[in-house]
Amino acid sequence: MARSFGRLTLAGKILFTVIPILLVLTGGLVVLIVVGGKPIVDFLATNMWLVRFVVAATLVLLTSVPTAFLIIYMEMKVIALMNLRIGPDRVGPYGSLLSVVHGLKVLMKEDFSPTGSDRLVFTLAPVVVYMSAVMTLMVLPVAPTIFGADFNIGLLYVFAIGGLTVVGLLMAGWSSFNKYSLLGGLRSAAQVISYEIPLTLSVVGLLLLAGTMSLNQLAINQAGWFTNWYVFQQPLGALIFFIAATAEANRTPFDLTEADSEIVAGFATEYSGMRFGFFFFAEYVNVFVVSGLIVTLFFGGWNAPFPWPWPLALNIDLGSMGLGLLFAILLVPPILILALAAPFYVASSAIKWWQAVILGFVLFNLLVIVAITGWAFISWDWVAGLLWFLGKSYVFVFIFVWMRGTLPRVRIDQLMGFAWKWLLPASLLNLFVTAAALVVVHK
Amino acid sequence: MDGALKRRLQARFGPQLIAPIAQRHDETEIRIGPGDVPYVCRALHDEPAFRFVLLADLAGVDTGDVMQVVYHLWSETSPDWLRIVADGLSREDPRVPSITFLWQGAEWMEREAYDMFGITFEGNRDLRRIYMPPDYQSFPLRKDFFLPDDAARSPGAGVRHMEQSHAPTNARSATMIRKTRA
Amino acid sequence: MTTSTPHVHPPQAQPSDDPRVQLDEAVGVFEPIPPYPPRTERESEFYTLGDGEMYINMGPQHPSTHGVLRIVLKLDGENVVDLDPVLGYLHRGVEKLCENADYHHSIAYLDPLEYISSLFCEWPGVLAFEKLLDVEVPRRAEYIRVLATELNRILSHSMFIGWMALDLGGLTPILYSLIERDEIAEMLAALTGQRLLFNYLRIGGVNGDLNHEFLSRLGDWMSRATTQIEANLGLLNENEIFVRRMRGLGTLDKETAFRMAVTGPNLRASGVPLDFRRAHPYSVFPEFEFDIPTRDEGDCLARYLVRIDEIKQSLRIIDQCLHNMPDGPIMAKLPRLLRPRPGRAYAAVEGPRGQYAAYVVSDGTDQPFRMRIHDPSFVHLQSVGVLMPGHLIADAMAVMASLDPIMGGVDK
Repeated sequence: MARSFGRLTLAGKILFTVIPILLVLTGGLVVLIVVGGKPIVDFLATNMWLVRFVVAATLVLLTSVPTAFLIIYMEMKVIALMNLRIGPDRVGPYGSLLSVVHGLKVLMKEDFSPTGSDRLVFTLAPVVVYMSAVMTLMVLPVAPTIFGADFNIGLLYVFAIGGLTVVGLLMAGWSSFNKYSLLGGLRSAAQVISYEIPLTLSVVGLLLLAGTMSLNQLAINQAGWFTNWYVFQQPLGALIFFIAATAEANRTPFDLTEADSEIVAGFATEYSGMRFGFFFFAEYVNVFVVSGLIVTLFFGGWNAPFPWPWPLALNIDLGSMGLGLLFAILLVPPILILALAAPFYVASSAIKWWQAVILGFVLFNLLVIVAITGWAFISWDWVAGLLWFLGKSYVFVFIFVWMRGTLPRVRIDQLMGFAWKWLLPASLLNLFVTAAALVVVHK
Repeated sequence: MDGALKRRLQARFGPQLIAPIAQRHDETEIRIGPGDVPYVCRALHDEPAFRFVLLADLAGVDTGDVMQVVYHLWSETSPDWLRIVADGLSREDPRVPSITFLWQGAEWMEREAYDMFGITFEGNRDLRRIYMPPDYQSFPLRKDFFLPDDAARSPGAGVRHMEQSHAPTNARSATMIRKTRA
Repeated sequence: MTTSTPHVHPPQAQPSDDPRVQLDEAVGVFEPIPPYPPRTERESEFYTLGDGEMYINMGPQHPSTHGVLRIVLKLDGENVVDLDPVLGYLHRGVEKLCENADYHHSIAYLDPLEYISSLFCEWPGVLAFEKLLDVEVPRRAEYIRVLATELNRILSHSMFIGWMALDLGGLTPILYSLIERDEIAEMLAALTGQRLLFNYLRIGGVNGDLNHEFLSRLGDWMSRATTQIEANLGLLNENEIFVRRMRGLGTLDKETAFRMAVTGPNLRASGVPLDFRRAHPYSVFPEFEFDIPTRDEGDCLARYLVRIDEIKQSLRIIDQCLHNMPDGPIMAKLPRLLRPRPGRAYAAVEGPRGQYAAYVVSDGTDQPFRMRIHDPSFVHLQSVGVLMPGHLIADAMAVMASLDPIMGGVDK
């Protein structure tokens, strides 16, 4: 049996492994539902928080991967355009599917660990780094009622979990049995510890103003006009936070942990395949988390820059149209397709009629998507909030990518000198000035 | 063609020269024995009449009969290159005092001359091979060097070559190496 | 060095625990220590570890060494205590090859020495051959030589700017430098037929005359060269991070520079205005008007700025070349089979890295008896050992990049 299994092709092996497992699981599930369905549902109904938590964790894990994909592609393309070259343009339109292909590639690589490495720590290090990045995503409020979990110490949680990354990097550096990795891990430990303090101190002024550590509450506080945003009340704090967050996320100009002109790949030198994939994704998820934090704390979170009248109800009563609705559904799409196709057909003689119709169909679909999105944007505040949050976050992601393409990196002693001699006093100054101002105002 | 330089050199280093000073185009050449090299080089480097502070090149030459070490110096006081040929090193055991006490940059140039010719520079703190692997047996730029036999003597000899490794049919024996008066 | 533990060669460790793995030698500690006792004084000094020091091997495969170079660093944490470059990974035996080749053929062997500035590698060989043959090179050929080599100098310096930034972490300037290089390479390809290893200089002249495509590309490029280079440099010269990392780093003072036999822009950045085009003129350089940029500090930033100023001076020289180009033949009349007089000749030129030189011994036959090539990168790489100790690893790369070594020349 084992021999004939070994003779199957890869597709056959997958088929003959996956399908029996699926059958067993389905059967088991059916039995479970029949036998114990009702008690389970009752249990869950009384413990909705458990369901909510599981759903939230799953969604956060699932969305972290496409986010990382998107940011990886963005970085490659944007830096390429800044370097006056083209970047990815083969896989998918404008190379947009490149990250997906990279993800598949790292899954298929050989999974080895170097001789002499501490296998357990070597395997766990990427997990720690990735999990700490994803856990921080849980508390980011992306829309008025959409967040993973709303802690009233959300900010403290973020900083605590963010510090867990350095444990993972140290594990990676130490367990690789390689001096380059060791140097990279130690550099990252020194860097993160140095910048942790200005990072936390720079938002204490903000906490004094807002009175809460809950990220959701901070976003709610910044509703209304953009002058409500905390960046105008704490400009120095925002700047220090931005710089310290760049160092926490190991981005240029503070990316000496992975300085590829000095220590090959730093802590990740001995990693390949999916283990390296985890580090890679974790870095970009970190970039997104840091951007999201900056947006939430200082730039209004999911709020629009002007007060949005919620909800704008589109009073379209579809039921009153009666039979006209049927005619509308049947006639409007073809008419719109032809109307969108006609200009192309008329404009150029090289475009045949069926090519114009296909073009019209594609444009019609785009129009429908835009219309539905616009309607959702207007009707539901969480759609609008989500889009504003993502837009603002990606502006900051773009700024991070821009810095990577432009700036050289600093040296380790210059980095630490900068943190301890400049950022720390500046953040303390910010704190004192804020506290003094509060005392004066409240007098 | 700096006649003044030739007169100064003749006056200063008369006893050390083993051949007349030759001049051609923009080069002046003096020949000395290997033992005189530190004295002559230090005099040329330090004395204000000469001030040959820039070591331009240090080369080994195998003339087929003897080995030579050739130094090229440059000074602001003269429009010519000064070539010092330390002539008369034996081909079996060539030895020359090192000039790394004057120019530390000569260290690697002397290492290269050692690696390629086998010339031992006495006083060079780091006289080991620089281009060839450290266990290489012979000295490539010598005129009696040929490759396959040498490869058989190195630890890499167990590697299967595409062709048989044997002495080539036109291998130059000691009587057939290329010689010149240089 | 406090207590120096004598190095004990590691005992044979057990092989891999996977029975399918056949190892030629047992897997042990991967220290870059040679497997034999130290044979020279310096080797034993280097391969003896002090307290808390460790070796790290920046191997021949490294994203940042300028070619295949292996450096063994002795580190105390992040401080470099000592270093030992190991060469020979690109050694091709050029000098021996030239001994078995014609005088004409050996010019093609000289090209890949410093492949970025290959015209400067050919030139001293050709000059030395011409001295042996007592050949007078026509004026037009000399002007074309100067024109092509100054273009090559600009190409080399542009690439230097790119590598310097790349070793410090900036990803963008190297691509701008590659645009510059590409334009000049296309120009020189129109002139010589090759983009990288030009093989253009011949004994007694040059290979081909100026043609229309070369001149049109050159004119086109010259009209925007200055602004383009200024724009590229704007990314780096004003950048605080870049300047702070290079200022005060790897300072080479005058005495040390002469002691290490340093020439070229590295010497001029240490305050010595020595340029062989002015100090020991060859070819038609006495007829050109150009300055010799010199700076006093001797640190990495000074070396970088000197090279930028040299690009501007090269543009001036090219301008004058084009305006004063004489008519005439481009090759001297020479017999096909060249038999120089028996004798010796030495020729040196001022290249983008320093003094390139050739010492040729001729025995009257049609093959050079000894072709000795002096290469500046070889000499300058010794200075890295003098300049680096005391700095951090990141600085090690910056210092090495600022000395601008090209491994082809180092390893010949």
